[in-house]
Amino acid sequence: MLRYTLRRLIIAVPTLLLIATLAFALLHAAPGGPFDSDKRMLPAIQRAIEARYHLDEPLWRQYVRYLGELSRGDLGPSFQYRDTSVNQIIAQGLPVDATVGLAALALALLVGGTVGVSAALWHGTRWDHAPMALAAVGISVPVFVVAPLLILVFAVALHWLPPGDWVAGSPSHLVLPVVALALPYIGYVARLMRGSTLEVLASPFIRSARAKGLPSRLILWRHALRPALTPLVSYLGPAIAGLVTGSIVVESVFGLPGIGRFFITAALNRDYTLLVGITVLYGAFIILCNLLADLCYAWIDPRVRLR
Amino acid sequence: MSARPAGERIPMSVPLQRPAAPEPPAASPSSAPPARAGAFWRLTLRRLAAQPTTRVAAALLAMIVIGCLVIPWLSPYDYYTPHFDLLSRGPMLAGAHLFGTDPLGRDLLVRVMWGCRISLAVGVAASLVSVLIGVAWGAIAGYVGGWLDSTMMRAVDVLYSVPFVPFVIVLTVLFGRSLWLLFVAIGAVSWLDIARIVRGQTLSLKQREFIEAARVAGVRGVDMISRHIVPNLLGIVAVYATLTIPAVILFEALLSFLGLGVQSPMASLGSLVADGASDMQAHPHLLIVPAALLSLIIYCFNYLGDGLRDALDPRSR
Amino acid sequence: MSGRAHAARAPRAALAARAGLAALVALAAGAAGAVGAAGAAGAPGAPGVVDVGPTLARTQILARTLDDEPRSLDPQLASDIPGQRIADDLFEGLTAVGIDGRPVPGVAASWQESADGLTWVFHLRAAARWSNGAPVTAGDFVYAWRREVDPRTGSQYAQGLAPIAGALAIASGDAPPDTLGVRALDAHTLRVRLAGPTPYLLDLLSQQYLYPVYAPVIRRYGEQWTQPAHMVCDGAFVLREHVIGSRITLQKNPLYWDAAHVHLQRVVYYVLPDRNVQAERFMAGQAQWTDSFAANQHDWLAAHLGAQVVNSPYFGTYMLGFNFQMPPFRDNRPLREALVLAIDREPLVHAMRSMYQPAYTLMPPLPGYVQPVPAWARLSEQARHALARRLYREAGYSHTDPLRVDIVTSVQGADERHFYEAVAAEWRAILGADVHVDEEEFKVLIQDRELHKVALFHDAWIGDYPDPYTFMQIFYTGNGNNNGAYSDPAFDRLIDAAGREADEAARYRLFGAAERVLNEDAAYIPLYYYATRHLVKPYVRGWRSNIMDRNLSRYMYLLEHQGD
Repeated sequence: MLRYTLRRLIIAVPTLLLIATLAFALLHAAPGGPFDSDKRMLPAIQRAIEARYHLDEPLWRQYVRYLGELSRGDLGPSFQYRDTSVNQIIAQGLPVDATVGLAALALALLVGGTVGVSAALWHGTRWDHAPMALAAVGISVPVFVVAPLLILVFAVALHWLPPGDWVAGSPSHLVLPVVALALPYIGYVARLMRGSTLEVLASPFIRSARAKGLPSRLILWRHALRPALTPLVSYLGPAIAGLVTGSIVVESVFGLPGIGRFFITAALNRDYTLLVGITVLYGAFIILCNLLADLCYAWIDPRVRLR
Repeated sequence: MSARPAGERIPMSVPLQRPAAPEPPAASPSSAPPARAGAFWRLTLRRLAAQPTTRVAAALLAMIVIGCLVIPWLSPYDYYTPHFDLLSRGPMLAGAHLFGTDPLGRDLLVRVMWGCRISLAVGVAASLVSVLIGVAWGAIAGYVGGWLDSTMMRAVDVLYSVPFVPFVIVLTVLFGRSLWLLFVAIGAVSWLDIARIVRGQTLSLKQREFIEAARVAGVRGVDMISRHIVPNLLGIVAVYATLTIPAVILFEALLSFLGLGVQSPMASLGSLVADGASDMQAHPHLLIVPAALLSLIIYCFNYLGDGLRDALDPRSR
Repeated sequence: MSGRAHAARAPRAALAARAGLAALVALAAGAAGAVGAAGAAGAPGAPGVVDVGPTLARTQILARTLDDEPRSLDPQLASDIPGQRIADDLFEGLTAVGIDGRPVPGVAASWQESADGLTWVFHLRAAARWSNGAPVTAGDFVYAWRREVDPRTGSQYAQGLAPIAGALAIASGDAPPDTLGVRALDAHTLRVRLAGPTPYLLDLLSQQYLYPVYAPVIRRYGEQWTQPAHMVCDGAFVLREHVIGSRITLQKNPLYWDAAHVHLQRVVYYVLPDRNVQAERFMAGQAQWTDSFAANQHDWLAAHLGAQVVNSPYFGTYMLGFNFQMPPFRDNRPLREALVLAIDREPLVHAMRSMYQPAYTLMPPLPGYVQPVPAWARLSEQARHALARRLYREAGYSHTDPLRVDIVTSVQGADERHFYEAVAAEWRAILGADVHVDEEEFKVLIQDRELHKVALFHDAWIGDYPDPYTFMQIFYTGNGNNNGAYSDPAFDRLIDAAGREADEAARYRLFGAAERVLNEDAAYIPLYYYATRHLVKPYVRGWRSNIMDRNLSRYMYLLEHQGD
């Protein structure tokens, strides 16, 4: 397993390089630059700014320079926020996103997993249809509807919870963003778990376990759950990466200082370094999560051989 | 380089037991003679119809589709002419504004029906695009295996982390903002999940006896993939396709929220919801009506997908 | 105390003499107003009526909102409004922004002007200090202003210093920064030489890009000098915390020379790009002053929050621009005029932009300036429509051969788009023109305008200081902001003449004549004048609506209150 992991990590490097190159090329292809504004600057000043940020150099040279900095871990200065660097923005935003994202993941796994598995166990009854219907609400209603609704009800009308902002270590500030973020994932997890649990429960080895006379609970926990987790694990890889890097809508509605919102503003404001920096981070997370997911397969199913 | 279980039968594929109709073992539509293939799908349809939830979902979807085609044609209002004396009114019987009006005084019912058309068209078309690409990619990668498989799946990994927004921005600038561009752009991003699932399925199908039999019979390459592998994937692909449609519709809604979706005065359900969400307190009907319809459509597709999965797999009670 | 209070322009000399009384007057007025208005607290139907007492609240912490994350906290680089707001609280220039937006003595306690108005001498007050205790000297101003015009700094407002001698040459890269017409005669005396008569100089001096900065900290930390741990400022507050994209916290600066009159202990700015979220925070009680609210919610908010919804004229104009370099508008004045006339501004703005005023001229209302309202504004609706149709036909278009053009605007949200759709619909109804709204991404629109690639485009302008020149320049031949590439020698001559004119009344008359040239040429389509949009709790006092919309936390205070 160690050799497998190492091999995957080594391949990750050219993959990340490719990601960085694609992001770099795409954003530079879009028209407009970071310092274009509706109040025009004097040409000498424009030239000076471009020289300072090396935007006047040919594209390949900017690319090589960027790669050099990247290899040293320096993601460059931010073009739209001239006092800060990309590293600082990410350092500030990532813990916020990680906290909210992981909490949402835990909630989704707990609630979604429970709903999905019980729906499979009571398949066909109202304990199947009703909770699944509710879970589907999370998938059907967009986050930019749910989030403001939550604020309206719990913060503005009832004054139970704060309407937003980030105060490190304050659980009440976490509740609404985490719930808003988790709702669609609860739906997906429930659906996945229900489907795969149903499959596993109907498979031959479960039937033989039942024929052997094993109690249902034992069957469920010891034999059925592990194989039922495989589709979930394959879904979780990119889902975790997405959760952690932040949902744009949740961040903007609740005013959380995460990096997901910067992703969009960086694209719209042509902040090349910030966008490529966040993209590379996102790519690294996905690669990592996929690797973890594949390692989990091996743990779940001992017959699996990592090639 | 994969950790997928070798030789393990992956669930959600074709039926294991023989269903009531006479079918050869490990039935698949293509390896059976044409009459049997038709019988397979008729059976699936029958079982689909047997479940009450699926019946309701299909009926609702049919009503919505008919509504969005017929209502704009019947209504005296169009979707783009403003009426300044009727801004943002709630639902009322006067003037037959059953859902009220929008901030420009346009009839909301007509706008929502138009939005429905656009959203459904985007959803179905983009899902088709993604299914086509995804199935081809995954089946080829899974069947050929080896370094091609590894490369193709690495490509999928890379594409997962490509930032979509600048991609769409560049496309809209290069090709103008058209609906077709939206189909292609969204579809080009949604095929990744299907490709991975299809590849996994292909890997397990490869080990099956009927594929061995076909190989012995001399079937190779493209023929093998298209006539034997792909038809066996149709079940799971159908499920994922129906599940992709709502995801695509929601993604289009997000693009509208960012201002990259359909051009005004045309609207999609997503853009109507995004507009309504910003006016939620003052005029709730602007949000409730399109959001309810959007949610209903997505609900129905989800139930159809579920029903399809259950119908294709008789072992589930 | 809100309302449409336009302070009359006091004569410049009298202003210098009234220096010390300004703050006291504001405070007294505030107290009197508070006593008088105590009974009027709480709007009918407001969610949670607020009971406002006559005395100061015990905790003086104000929560405000910003429309976006500031692009920089460095005053010379703060080119956007959020940056200006923060800079206004952290720094102070020669003149300060008064409670009504007019300039009052700041670091400079007094000044003299030469006879020809081209040389000014400022006397800095000895009590002015940086937050680390060092005195604010004239050298700090010299350093800051040179830094502003130096192309290497890359300040986007460098040309704002154009009235100062030598500034334009330096900013164009033709001269070194030390040729700027500013000199420190001694530690507390600053001499400024101007390029030409500048009646709005005192307003200019209160702009954030002319604030002083503390050189040693910049030399030592470079771009990182705006970190809370490093920053040194001379204003009423210091920077305590900066969470990028979320929150900026300021704390009272005890070394500020006027700290005795600053009531607030802390000011928290929440960065909320979503206007609806700003309103939500306000109603939840977490924010007490919002920088904005969604335009389409105005009527609903006014019905529910009453007097807490504040609108007043803002120095900006919203318009559509024509491209003079390409068809269909090049050399086709009848067509341009037809489009200008075929908009029913009053009902349109009243229905969709009830906070704003319909516009018939380029310049928004400015005290002392007579807007040259065109004759067609007084026509009846039918007469105007008939005239528009006649001009449309004269331009060569008809119902069978309609004008086909797109309004190109940027993606700003639903209510912006709706407004332009309504304009397009009016043209369709009145003229039969086939007009659509094309939304482009903001950067793409900027580039298209700059390269003169679009025929009809959204163009809004907000004046930097209360003088007509800031608006007129955008139609000057070759000006960088002349998006339509409009060029008229008569117009240019009038602008040049106004630039040489020292007498304000004569100057304004010249600008008025220049605007009449624009009107006759139908050089643009005026739509409406901007208004400030704020939600303010009734217990927040010490501010007044002003056309430049500058509201410094320095004067504000909270009255005792119960409820949110």
